[in-house]
Amino acid sequence: MKFDTIIMGGGLSGLTCGIALAKKGRRVAIVAGGQNTLHFYSGSMELLGSVDDQDVTHPIEAIAALNENHPYSKIGAQHIASLAQQAQALLADAGIKTTGDASCNHYRITPMGVTKPAWLTLDGLATTSHPDALPWKKVCLVNLEGFIDYPIDFVAHGLRNLGAQVETPTVSLECLKQARRSATEMRATNLAKVFTNTSNVARLADAINTACNDTEAVLIPAVLGYDNDDACNLLKAQVKAPLYFLATLPPAVTGVRINAALKHYFQMLGGRFLMGDSVENVVIDGDKVTHINTTKLQAMSLQAEQYVLATGSFMSRGLVADFERIYEPLMNLDTDAPQDREQWSKYGMMGDQPYMSCGVVTDKDFHPLKDGSPLANVYAIGQVLGGHNPITMGDGTGVSMLTALAVANAINS
Amino acid sequence: MNNNNKHYDVIVIGGGITGAGVARDCAMRGLSVLLLERFDFTNGATGRNHGLMHSGARYAVTDKESATECIKENMILRKIARHCVEETDGLFITLPEDDLAYQRTFVDACLAAGIRADIIDPAEALAIEPAVNPDLIGAVRIPDASIDPFRLTVANVIDARLHGADALNYHEVTEFIINQNRVKGVKARDQHTGQIKEFRASVTINAAGIWGMLIAQKAGITINMFPAKGALLIFGHRVNKMVINRCRKPANADILVPDDTVCVIGTTSDRVPIETVDDMRVTDQEVQLLLSEGEKLAPSLATTRILRAYAGVRPLVAADNDPSGRNISRGIVCLDHEERDGMAGFITITGGKMMTYRLMAQIATNLACKKLGNNATCDTDTTPLPGSEQIATQRDGAKRSFAFNAAEGRHGTYTSKIKLDTDADRALVCECEGVSVGEIKYAVENQHVHNLLSLRRRTRVGMGTCQGKLCACRAAALLGRFDNNIPKAQADLAQFLDERWKGIKPVAWGSTLREAQLTATIYQGLCGLDKAIERKEGSK
Repeated sequence: MKFDTIIMGGGLSGLTCGIALAKKGRRVAIVAGGQNTLHFYSGSMELLGSVDDQDVTHPIEAIAALNENHPYSKIGAQHIASLAQQAQALLADAGIKTTGDASCNHYRITPMGVTKPAWLTLDGLATTSHPDALPWKKVCLVNLEGFIDYPIDFVAHGLRNLGAQVETPTVSLECLKQARRSATEMRATNLAKVFTNTSNVARLADAINTACNDTEAVLIPAVLGYDNDDACNLLKAQVKAPLYFLATLPPAVTGVRINAALKHYFQMLGGRFLMGDSVENVVIDGDKVTHINTTKLQAMSLQAEQYVLATGSFMSRGLVADFERIYEPLMNLDTDAPQDREQWSKYGMMGDQPYMSCGVVTDKDFHPLKDGSPLANVYAIGQVLGGHNPITMGDGTGVSMLTALAVANAINS
Repeated sequence: MNNNNKHYDVIVIGGGITGAGVARDCAMRGLSVLLLERFDFTNGATGRNHGLMHSGARYAVTDKESATECIKENMILRKIARHCVEETDGLFITLPEDDLAYQRTFVDACLAAGIRADIIDPAEALAIEPAVNPDLIGAVRIPDASIDPFRLTVANVIDARLHGADALNYHEVTEFIINQNRVKGVKARDQHTGQIKEFRASVTINAAGIWGMLIAQKAGITINMFPAKGALLIFGHRVNKMVINRCRKPANADILVPDDTVCVIGTTSDRVPIETVDDMRVTDQEVQLLLSEGEKLAPSLATTRILRAYAGVRPLVAADNDPSGRNISRGIVCLDHEERDGMAGFITITGGKMMTYRLMAQIATNLACKKLGNNATCDTDTTPLPGSEQIATQRDGAKRSFAFNAAEGRHGTYTSKIKLDTDADRALVCECEGVSVGEIKYAVENQHVHNLLSLRRRTRVGMGTCQGKLCACRAAALLGRFDNNIPKAQADLAQFLDERWKGIKPVAWGSTLREAQLTATIYQGLCGLDKAIERKEGSK
């Protein structure tokens, strides 16, 4: 099978790249292993949240000061603003409405009840424009009986700490009885399936209206909107007070929804999404990949003009650490990982763990290096790239989307 | 200064298995007892070993006395601590590189010590234990078993309490109250409030394991101990169903024990300085040794995810006339400091093994009773521990939820005391180990739980495959609600994850590293836990 571009990896960066290419009429295939890290999503994209342990207010300005190994520096600081706009527009085209501005961060509210800088937040989620203040003085923080993947006391404590008066009613719904009975079913995504039924949404709205009086805002965990945001909008329309959602512990309904929307849009644009398949073999001749083989298609090789590596970090198996070394498993690309295993990590879990910044090494155009030389028709994007720690810097989703777009734009031109 | 006005017969220092056993024995003999532990129960060597219930076979050739003690205690624990023991049996295998002639010596020594030892065909060994190295050339079946030291210790503490004892964890002995060469009691710091409290007793028993050396120093007494570090690795699932040992002279990393949902390989043995025993880290060399030797017992370990590495410190005691430490005894050492050092009212019980804790407790209690003029007999060898009474649990199908079944393995007959009446109580906090909201409430109310660490030891929350990925947060939220203290619960959560990381770091490659990245992504990235614990608490 022949394509213009084959993307290895169906997470945020692979889908973003695939959409940007397919929009320009290119024939694109995405080989996607399965679940991706959008399942641990916060509801917000982040461009750059923190530098040297300090919150970043103006990401575009701060990006200009990053070191040369950071993927943003390869893109070029002067291109960040327009790529950020392109990213927001791409999400909107896929039906994902977001609010935010790359020149100035806003703040999301985490399940621990703290605020963290964000670039784009999914419409409907609670945000605040200031890290130490809330837009409300009096809120009603609602939980669903039996739902323990939302540490409501932590959130309430955080909101009170920011000066809000917080009520924390729990609503009990008959339609969740079945889920409550099976101990493993009270998970956010399972609840979202229950609320694809509009009469269940109406029952939830009734319960919220009964429980919440005289409040400036109702906040509830983001357990609605599995395939689309219909259920979210329906609930908002039926709840009397302004209603906002808050991110839960994984699995994240918001992330599942974004994933579904991007995948759907990609396919609508004519893209081929090879779900549940994985790349088994990448054949390299000289400085080019000639074809790949996948587990499901076996003998039938896939060929393309360009190949994009969007396989993610360790947790997505884009990088592998074994007893001896850290390596990139598909092409054995050069990585920036320390040789000595003891240097991969350090004591103190919350510190800047070196392995988090490991990735494949690329030239300034994101061609990955193999044995010191770039592969001419291969690009690497997203979390498989090294040079930054997405956890401490708060730039993971931004790097995924912006490197994907930078590469797509390069291929398109 | 907060003085507890009660005058006890006995204060026991150390909440490991020995101290808990001593407290139980003393209380059962009618003595009034206070048990003090500076951190959580089982924090020392008790919580950092194989979880192996030795048959004694390991010592049969080299130390017949220990072997005989072990098999006797082994048979007793099967009866009195049923809910802590899994009767797995064990194999001593001979590999091509080992001397098969040693097998005969081994079996003869076992039989002489009273340990059943059946030579079986290697093919039969492979049939009953498919995980064993298929290259084996010999196998002996012996009555090893798996035991949960956390459960065993807490059962002893609970029974001591049921017999009137007081037990305080998170109370660290800071000094002795001494009057005219007699220990009259201790001062202890409440670790949560910082308050120093005085406790008085006629006899004080030092059962603090390796830390007993430091405790004795506070009374001006020298005990010559040699801390011996033993490192172990836990694997992500249970590859073997029987204990697997090497049939050779005891050496490093030659025991693989199935424990609950996981299995453990160990151990190493290295002398370490006493100053380091509070912060044992497993080195890369130890990890390599454990892995290479472990794979010889069960080859599938090479491809099994390692959950974490940890190390305990054995309290080896040198004979009094040998300060060099060459003449180390692995046997039980009971020191009457009145006789030995002229310090009345003070006893140290140390050496020995987890396996012989009950016997150690009996010896120490006998001495305390002698001093107190108490003639009661020791019944700990026949009286079942709480949870192990021979009462069949009601098999009411409708009431036996998943949460109940999972909890029963941990709490035995006491499971019926756990409230699991509502869906909310039966909701699972920890899916790997099947720990429900109701079980956590029970542990908090009845088992001296002060934080996630102690909750983990009581219930196995966060001990399974995921190492606390989501359950830690769920459990922290519950504890925060019970305590009505959110900042403490969040700090506890961060501390718990960091403690898990300490064990993960030495083995952070492969899927272990993948899981660690996922955990960090959730707690640092998504949740911002690091920000929460740094947050300045504002006015409410």
